[in-house]
Amino acid sequence: MLNLIINAIINGILLGGVYALLAIGLNLLFGVLKLIHLAYGQFVMIGLYILYVLVVNAGLPFWAAAIITIIVTGILGIIVHILIVQPLLDAPRLNQLLALAGLIIVFENLSMVIWGADYRNIQMSLPVVAVGGFYIRMSYLIAFIGGLITLGLLYLFLYKTYLGLSIRAISQDLEGVELMGVNPKVNFYVTMAAGGILTGIVAVFFAPIYAVHPHFGSSFTILAFIIVVLGGMGNLLGGFISAFIMGVVTSVAAFLTTSEIADIIAMLIFIGVMLVRPQGIMGIREAR
Amino acid sequence: MLEVSQLSVGYGEFQVLFDISFKVKKGSTAVIVGPNGAGKTTLLKTISGLLPIISGSIFLDGIPIQEKKPHQIVEMGIAQVPEGGRIFPYLSVEENLKMGSFPKRAREKFKDRLKWVYELFPVLSERKKQLAGSLSGGERQMLAIGRCLMSEPKLILLDEPSMGLAPLIVTHIFKLIQDINTQGYTILMVEQNVKKALQLADNAFLLESGRIKIKGSKEEFFANEYIKKAYIGL
Amino acid sequence: MKRSYLYFLGTLIFIGVLIFPHFVSNYIIHIAVLILIWSYVSTVWAYMGRFGLVSLGHGAFLGIGAYTSGLLFNNFHLTPLVGMFIGGIAAAIVALILGYACFRFGVIGDYFALVTLALAEVIMLLIIALREFTGGSLGFTLNKMGNSFLYLSSDSKIFFYYLALAFVILSILIWKKIDKSKIYKAMRAIGEDELASASLGINVIKYKVIITIISAFLTALGGSLYGQYITYLNPHTLSGVGVSLDIAFKAILGGMFNIWGPTVGTILIVTMEETFRGIFGSHFIGVSEVLYGIALICFIIFLPKGIYGTIVNKLSKK
Repeated sequence: MLNLIINAIINGILLGGVYALLAIGLNLLFGVLKLIHLAYGQFVMIGLYILYVLVVNAGLPFWAAAIITIIVTGILGIIVHILIVQPLLDAPRLNQLLALAGLIIVFENLSMVIWGADYRNIQMSLPVVAVGGFYIRMSYLIAFIGGLITLGLLYLFLYKTYLGLSIRAISQDLEGVELMGVNPKVNFYVTMAAGGILTGIVAVFFAPIYAVHPHFGSSFTILAFIIVVLGGMGNLLGGFISAFIMGVVTSVAAFLTTSEIADIIAMLIFIGVMLVRPQGIMGIREAR
Repeated sequence: MLEVSQLSVGYGEFQVLFDISFKVKKGSTAVIVGPNGAGKTTLLKTISGLLPIISGSIFLDGIPIQEKKPHQIVEMGIAQVPEGGRIFPYLSVEENLKMGSFPKRAREKFKDRLKWVYELFPVLSERKKQLAGSLSGGERQMLAIGRCLMSEPKLILLDEPSMGLAPLIVTHIFKLIQDINTQGYTILMVEQNVKKALQLADNAFLLESGRIKIKGSKEEFFANEYIKKAYIGL
Repeated sequence: MKRSYLYFLGTLIFIGVLIFPHFVSNYIIHIAVLILIWSYVSTVWAYMGRFGLVSLGHGAFLGIGAYTSGLLFNNFHLTPLVGMFIGGIAAAIVALILGYACFRFGVIGDYFALVTLALAEVIMLLIIALREFTGGSLGFTLNKMGNSFLYLSSDSKIFFYYLALAFVILSILIWKKIDKSKIYKAMRAIGEDELASASLGINVIKYKVIITIISAFLTALGGSLYGQYITYLNPHTLSGVGVSLDIAFKAILGGMFNIWGPTVGTILIVTMEETFRGIFGSHFIGVSEVLYGIALICFIIFLPKGIYGTIVNKLSKK
């Protein structure tokens, strides 16, 4: 029994790496741009479908398909910015949220039209490795490492470049950033493109783990929000830590009860954090 | 250096500035004084390109800039210290200064200028890793001025640098502004603290309800009966 | 002159609505019943929405209402006439707890929307998790009762047409009642400046909680009604994020600030869905929804006050 719980914890930690990867992009959009990107999970879904088409239908090698997928989701991010986010920049934030919710309907049903309701996955079963009596999934381990590397790169971008710095500043004071010589349009484009690219990366690492279907996205969107809020919006390190917390909590709870109860616990943690510490465990929230 | 000619500005149907014309000479300090709501902040925002104009023109070294975007105007060399400083509270002090050196011409010289700003404001150097939001009012104002200097501006616009600060700190800040001016920077300042501001000024303008009422040198302003009565309280 | 003309038009429409089901096919009546039920729910949703409390979790209340009365009926043979009130009270209690917590901690705007969204998901998951009682993801069918008003059951769609119509009228009357009450004045003041109203002695939290409870209670009644009509309860159609968004969209699209806005929005969306379904049918499952989604996005961008709201605004300006 104890052994099984420890195994659940190990799986939870690895799952945490997968979750961390998932939450990074949302952290950038939600935390930095204060954009409540409700269709975030649907972006990942589209990425998975593109990958599927390129690998299974077009027969491309996985690495080539991965690169194309990441580019396409990046472009998709810019398109969504031009068509939906930019026209609503001066509108109440709620309208942005609702328009992106409308995008969920579009993406989900478009997938339904093109690919049908079937579960589709790329056949690339990675082994499960036994280490000292515990079982570790390679696919999780790879996603875990991918998450670490992606986070590192994003950190370098946000903290070591002028563009990254100005992206962090813009959520604090838009007009103030303009007075520093920043063209805010460029910042928004870059951030939305980066958000799109990150969902593409998530899709690449998710491909060996999950099968994609038209309703794939929503639960991942909510999960990503939980992680970002828990860690403090825009706080990359906080998001990373909370991803592991959520990974372990859901993994252990799912082992002890059912997966629905585990999800309910996750939601309740989210509601609790939103109520008591909306700035997250270590984060910041501007006064309004 | 800066020439504003017959400038009119408004928000929607509500006009704020009427037919404003003045010049600021290279290396000088010009001060615009006037009561609250006269349009002083509007004027600076317009020069920085944040507000669209109704009519008129603004020239920097003879080049019209009234159609340019704010970021282009900063690239051309006009830097503003906005009202209240408006530092980025969730960036560190040093990151705020780095934001100041965002314009391309300033980036290469980031290290040199950082050193210079730290010499000018030693207190910022002590707190460089702190979040800017944790600074006191006076320190914030210094950070805002330092941040503006980082961009290597030709012209500095200062919006009410004394606002909300204790008298002792105001004296200190004004001293610093004078130092910056003597190092060759052109300054256009907007102030309600008329007496202190005039002491720094080469030229001054009185702005009342959106129009320039009086133009003149520092001496002329101090000698003017109306100014004395209404603003200096002698 | 103009006013009496409007009254005349209103009366004409009302009479039309009253006699309408006797002249059309069962399919049209079915659509009409759906429009009425969802008009009711989205009107009730807008009680909160128009004061800036945009909930994206009304599916939670809908689900609580439908499942409470449905389960009480199937297991204890309790009439939905009573069951729906028990469901309503259950929803009101949930609303009280969540509302108080949110407003006490100052969770407003898009953060409120996110919290309520999570609530809808919690209730849906809870319904699925309690699969021994609720049938889980597959849902369950209400026991057959034949025609009985006491059990809100009928094989005739016309019965539900008039029942749902009564609900819509009720929701409109309550809207008017709220407009004349203290709540309206308080909420308006809060909407303009929350801090100022608090300093004027308006109990901000109290009024927000009251309006949330009213809205949740009535939404639960709507859930029960919907359950009685379709006689099949499923967590995905009665709770969760999808339904919650649908409810909000209907009200917003029509215009949540106007009394008839949510109804107009519902008429539009339901007819749009049905028309698209008619055109594209089973050939391309999903095409209709794609167009519907695009239409929604366009409306939010170009007509943020909603269709009805925009028209009313234009007319009143002239």
